[in-house]
Amino acid sequence: MFCDEALDAVDAIAAGDLTPDGRVAAHLATCPNCAAALVSARALEQLLARRPVPAAPPQFTSRTLVRVRRARWRSEQFLDLGFNVAIGAIVIAVVAGIWMLVHRSGLAAVGNDAVDLFGRGLVTFARRVTPSLPLYAGATALLVTALGIWWWAERDAAL
Amino acid sequence: MDHGNERELVERCRQGDDGAFEELVDRYKDLVFALIARTVPDRSRAEDIAQDVFLRVHRGLPYFRGEARLSTWIYRIVANVCLQDQTRARGTVSLDDERGAQLAPSASDRQFSDFELRDRLEKAIARLPANYRLLIAAHYLKGVQYEDLAEALQLPLGTVKTQLYRAKHQLRRLLETDFR
Repeated sequence: MFCDEALDAVDAIAAGDLTPDGRVAAHLATCPNCAAALVSARALEQLLARRPVPAAPPQFTSRTLVRVRRARWRSEQFLDLGFNVAIGAIVIAVVAGIWMLVHRSGLAAVGNDAVDLFGRGLVTFARRVTPSLPLYAGATALLVTALGIWWWAERDAAL
Repeated sequence: MDHGNERELVERCRQGDDGAFEELVDRYKDLVFALIARTVPDRSRAEDIAQDVFLRVHRGLPYFRGEARLSTWIYRIVANVCLQDQTRARGTVSLDDERGAQLAPSASDRQFSDFELRDRLEKAIARLPANYRLLIAAHYLKGVQYEDLAEALQLPLGTVKTQLYRAKHQLRRLLETDFR
């Protein structure tokens, strides 16, 4: 057996993963270099096993949770921003599309006539309604009072 | 922690239960911190990285399928985060470490105290490649078996053992030469 072969097995033997068979055991008994390597490997094994285990700092959990919440908040903000930007872009695209459609199809001229007609109708309606305005105001006040009483009675019943 | 409890905890976390996630952090913080602190010498940096790990755990929980144990999955995240951190920090050897190595006592004075011995060991471990350092850190933590390491690192069991033996061999050489 060559030293290389024994030296390859030294760490496994020291870790307890390999039991030296007759050949390896015989070589380790006769070769001072390999025997020294085994002693050194065993010493290292003990040293590593005794290595202190660092404990997490006392405030670790709370600090971690703060960081997690902050990250979550940021990602939600990012998502919200993205959503709002997307909605804005869609609204602009729809308005621009309608505008282009109206202008290209000649509907704009028809639209102007419709706006004129609607405006004139609104003025006529206002002229007719103005004399009866106190009557309408009185009716609205009565309705609001009735609704208020009903809401108050419902609230009391719920309590 | 048994598999049923683990699943229940994961499920509660997935449903957005902050208390459940706090419980998860409490359960695994020592394992995660110990692993990281053994590979990253700076304690505040280690805490930062450990928090990063839990941040990733939080983000990844909706995709955790429960095929592996939760501890194994968390260990895998630790390994990835540590290796990424080492890659970023590669090539930056602390001057203090170098000076420490040069000022190490001569061969004629080898009666080191336990503290000095540990210091030499830590310096030698710091010189190992990142994957070896992680293996050494994890294997000598209570309860972390070869099988857990193999599953977490997605490596065959034999490869994990071989890499550990190589790491220890390299460590012995460092201790016998550079850090005498």
